[in-house]
Amino acid sequence: MDTPSYFPVPPGVGMEDNFLSLDDILLSQERLPVRTECVFPRLGFLEKSSDSQDIQEGTKMELPLWLCKGLYEKKRKVLSVELPKIYKEGWRTVFTADPNVVDLHKMGPYYYGLGSQMLHFDSPENPDIAKTLLQTFIGRFRRTMDSSQNAYNEDTSVLVGRLDFLEKVLFKSGQSGLNGFQGWEKGQAAQLTASSLVLNYRKRKIVDIQS
Amino acid sequence: MDPSEVEFLAEKEFVKIIPNFSLDKIYLIGGDLGPFNPGLSVDVPVWLALNLKQRQKCRILPPEWMDVEKLEEIRELERKEDTFTPAPSPYYMELTKLLLNHASDNIPKADEIRTLVKDIWDTRVAKLRLSADSFIRQQEAHAQLDNLTLMEINTIREFLLDSLNCMYKLRSNLQPGATKGQFADY
Repeated sequence: MDTPSYFPVPPGVGMEDNFLSLDDILLSQERLPVRTECVFPRLGFLEKSSDSQDIQEGTKMELPLWLCKGLYEKKRKVLSVELPKIYKEGWRTVFTADPNVVDLHKMGPYYYGLGSQMLHFDSPENPDIAKTLLQTFIGRFRRTMDSSQNAYNEDTSVLVGRLDFLEKVLFKSGQSGLNGFQGWEKGQAAQLTASSLVLNYRKRKIVDIQS
Repeated sequence: MDPSEVEFLAEKEFVKIIPNFSLDKIYLIGGDLGPFNPGLSVDVPVWLALNLKQRQKCRILPPEWMDVEKLEEIRELERKEDTFTPAPSPYYMELTKLLLNHASDNIPKADEIRTLVKDIWDTRVAKLRLSADSFIRQQEAHAQLDNLTLMEINTIREFLLDSLNCMYKLRSNLQPGATKGQFADY
């Protein structure tokens, strides 16, 4: 079977993120709306909307998740993090009503990952967010499973288009199970094929070695 | 696990053949086989049966369950019951494919059997998906997989395990602080 030349590190999903996971690195760049709780001296260049040298107390701005996690402290209030709108009450009601209708790729695409990371920041709504995340996953599970286990040899971009990043990983593992079985049933497993490493290997030109 | 590995395991199943040559008992690590006498049926593993068949040294007798009437009965039962009924053989899918591909001339009504087994497979896989869904929906911690065959488990294993992992992590979000201190090494 096809073995990739490297094994991607899976995303951490929960409150802990995986340091080496590409998805988690991309996730840490997601921007969060924050409100500064003290003056940030000489950092005015970060905030393009005002001309002052410092970032004033009470400024509303957007900061990436990794910076928020670093600056956030419970005891000394440096900044307070507001919830992105998909985790707010209004959207939570939508997710409880029918999680299948939401285009999580457009809304996220790291809906579950970011949601779990939001739990780092103290908020009275945290238990509700965690509950909604779990319920959304459960509600959408059937769709992900059925589409990944039935779409054989067809264009999956429509099926994948509305999925969250986490669900996409699941979709892929479902597809590998289906493809493996279908390939075996058709007798492709019995044919010997060259490894992709050998196929991709190009002969070095003498010019490249000399230069 | 790759489906071809599952097939490899299935090749250890025994099947009856009628050889057309004579040979003394042969002693192998996996057990003694034979003696082979022309016209007398003998139990051998599938891998040997297929090898002999390809060299036209034997005739394969299909296993008892590989019979149109019996399979029809199993199919009806499988459709009627909500739970999994005992599979005709723990390797029914693999054996059907192996035997029908290599020895279809020894099996009466091979085409019908192929369709029937495929029907049974489809019914069972649909049931498997249904139970996986209700398993996730009710957030159960464990499930009993009675009467499932290796090949069936194998098609859904990767997907189900990954989903359960995700669900576990999302659920541990509900109790903050419970997962602290778990670091994976890479």
